[in-house]
Amino acid sequence: MDDTSAWIFFLSAVLATYVWRFAAVMISHRIEANHPIFEWFTCLAYGIIAALVARTLIFPSGMLALVPLWHRLIPMALAFVGFYLLGKRLWVGIVFGETGLIALMWFNNGAEGF
Amino acid sequence: MKELETNSRAVLVGIKNAFGLPALLLISAMTGFGSFAHEHGLSLYMSMLSTILIWGLPGQVVHVELYGMGAPLIAVVLGVAGANARFMPMTLSMMPIFDDSTHNRRWNYLLAHMISINTWAEMLQTGPEIRADRRMAYFLGFSFTCMTSGVIGVLQGYILFESMPQTVSLCLIFLVPVYFGLIMSNTVHPPFLLAFILGCVLGPPIHLLTPEWGLVLAGLISGTLAYLLRHKLQLLWKNKEGNG
Repeated sequence: MDDTSAWIFFLSAVLATYVWRFAAVMISHRIEANHPIFEWFTCLAYGIIAALVARTLIFPSGMLALVPLWHRLIPMALAFVGFYLLGKRLWVGIVFGETGLIALMWFNNGAEGF
Repeated sequence: MKELETNSRAVLVGIKNAFGLPALLLISAMTGFGSFAHEHGLSLYMSMLSTILIWGLPGQVVHVELYGMGAPLIAVVLGVAGANARFMPMTLSMMPIFDDSTHNRRWNYLLAHMISINTWAEMLQTGPEIRADRRMAYFLGFSFTCMTSGVIGVLQGYILFESMPQTVSLCLIFLVPVYFGLIMSNTVHPPFLLAFILGCVLGPPIHLLTPEWGLVLAGLISGTLAYLLRHKLQLLWKNKEGNG
């Protein structure tokens, strides 16, 4: 029973993703791609992903909740600094953020078992 | 780019180009996802299938998170649809690259499934340099390599979740918000940037109001606001460029 509902949720998630790709291919075969509604959809996606990122940082549901809020926000800020000041290279931002996280945990001995 | 005489040659070059940063990034991000899925009680089988069938990390994360929270089905559907809605404009902007190829148009439904932030960015950049009739083969080689790396990552993250030092799991889980925070904020289109900033600001407080609907609501408000303000933003942007 529980298993069945897990599959229903999963397959719904699969379809909820593929429906965008499918619709886009259908439309691309028919009309021009610069209808304003696509911009609205993209704005929605940006808003939702941003909300997700902010929520993961501020109200994490899993392991991240073990470290204090500042241990999440400061490394995130460092990642942005590294990315935008050093030529917008993704790996630089990631290295900055992760190094910040490790350093903070190291200095504070905060996380359990660290 | 070099002349790619045969399709198999194009596939091989695609595979070769995916080795390196794209594959590495996918392994790490998906290792994080594997641990994340394990943590939230998803089965290993479903976690790997998630990477193959959804192939869009934000939606995969939303699915796992909302499902783990016990959110209603409609919230999961809307949340995933919202988080992965970018595939529609991404797919639309990529299809013209395959227009001059002679392949059966039905292949486009497979090509669209292989689009992710990595493969999309690669194709927009490298695609035009490749002979039109070899682009599909190149793209498939590239994206299947990325997907395979992703599945390996999920497997490793899922299995190692409990034996991995906590610092390592934390770093991998932390990789997800950092990765998407950086990628999504890095847009030159003012309305998208505004939607991103508003979403960051509105997301947490709206989450407190309604945990199941917070993401959708925050995205709806910030996205619609940014969309409605897009002409004003464009003017502001131009003025700023004119002055500076």
